[in-house]
Amino acid sequence: MVLKLTGSLLVTCSCGALGLWKAAQWKEHLRMLEQLKKMMLMLRSEILYGHTPLGEALGHVGRKSEGPLGKLFEGAKERAGQQLGEPFCVIWKEEVEKRKKDMLLSEREIQELTGFGEHLGYLDLEMQEHTIALYLEQLDMSIEFYREHEREQSRLYTSLGIMGGLFLSIIMC
Amino acid sequence: MDRKDQIIGIFAKEIRGILQRMEADFDEVQEIRLRVGAPLLLVRKNREYYVDPAGRLRTGPQGVYVVTKEELQETMEYISSYSLYAFEEELRQGFITIQGGHRVGVAGKTVVEDQTVKGMKYISFINVRLSHQIIGCADSVMPYVYENGQVMHTLIVSPPRCGKTTLLRDMIRQLSTGSQKHGGVTVGVVDERSELGACHQGVPQNDLGIRTDILDCCPKAKGMMMLVRTMAPQVIAVDEVGSRQDMEAIEYVMSCGCKLVATVHGNSVGDIKQKPVLGEMVRRQMFERYIVLGGREQAGRVERIFNSRGCQLYSPERIAYGA
Repeated sequence: MVLKLTGSLLVTCSCGALGLWKAAQWKEHLRMLEQLKKMMLMLRSEILYGHTPLGEALGHVGRKSEGPLGKLFEGAKERAGQQLGEPFCVIWKEEVEKRKKDMLLSEREIQELTGFGEHLGYLDLEMQEHTIALYLEQLDMSIEFYREHEREQSRLYTSLGIMGGLFLSIIMC
Repeated sequence: MDRKDQIIGIFAKEIRGILQRMEADFDEVQEIRLRVGAPLLLVRKNREYYVDPAGRLRTGPQGVYVVTKEELQETMEYISSYSLYAFEEELRQGFITIQGGHRVGVAGKTVVEDQTVKGMKYISFINVRLSHQIIGCADSVMPYVYENGQVMHTLIVSPPRCGKTTLLRDMIRQLSTGSQKHGGVTVGVVDERSELGACHQGVPQNDLGIRTDILDCCPKAKGMMMLVRTMAPQVIAVDEVGSRQDMEAIEYVMSCGCKLVATVHGNSVGDIKQKPVLGEMVRRQMFERYIVLGGREQAGRVERIFNSRGCQLYSPERIAYGA
């Protein structure tokens, strides 16, 4: 009986922890999207007001940012400076691919991020402004969605975890 | 990255491969020209060559490599480091200076608004002019630039492509760094077309000396005034003066106690006297030294050096760079 109770308690706790972890992932995802937005705003200022070349601008923003997103920007800067004869969109796509596992972004968000690099650096300042503005809009929509559902998703994942754990315990007993 | 790698890194992949295979010494290459649908051309030792796909230099147009539109676009992407937007001002002037001080001239369809060139699109012609600073080419003229330890107002008179910018660049370096005989002086350079310092992202790629401040891509007249007011230079150097505003700025510089070293297009001092404002300055003996260059067959040959009264200080025993 003691063993059964201990087992049930462990299953409930584990499932609860899993729920809490999923809720934290949701928050982390939102935090990452917000960081990406901040970096895009910085990049926009570098390009529009400083007329900074793309590689240099990515480097400046990357150095000021932490985590995989900072590394993504710095990696793209590094490769752009190596003059290996690759178009920028290829460099950006490969860098995003390389780091997507660490970025906690959904498949759709990864696609949007890759698409952002396709037109970056192309034509004049106005084009850069439009490219960044379009991506910022996409980011805003994702951020809004995640913010809107943050509370309910956190509750949902936590309760699902605990309830799931209890359900399993009951079945096992 | 050596000089060759640095230069070929700006070209499209296919052209890069061809230039990589080329055996010619890149120190001797002066220009590489790309035109849409036209052969890849290269100027070496003042002679133009076609380049074939194997990277061999040819004198005739048979079997040579023809540049495509896509390659030109790709090349522009690399020249601008994927950031054409950052070079809008340079494109308005028709050139971009790249790392190493090499100058890329571009031509295509200009975008004009109110009689002013606002930009350029459909860039279809690229001319890469490789930088060739010649350290020490001003050695023979430097003794004439000083009198009683003072730098003289100096005007270099030269027809185009005779080496006046190269000479001025080395004079700036020597004035700024100084020598055993003369101490260095603070030199302010207004580099309107980025030819003297060849600044890339604000860093001069040519050696202009240790006491030199450069205003890059700045109109000469405005730049001279700015330097006098802000950087307290002892000498101001400018290339290719000519407009009325330039002359007014020169007068201002001279009246402020700064010395001036400048270049102007012309074949002789007589030619300069014919110019409306500059001629008047020559007659008023405002310049203390005239260095006249000549000889298209050998760039940098000093023909004559005169003082303000027109007395010849240097007899025409020909000296050329590297001679």
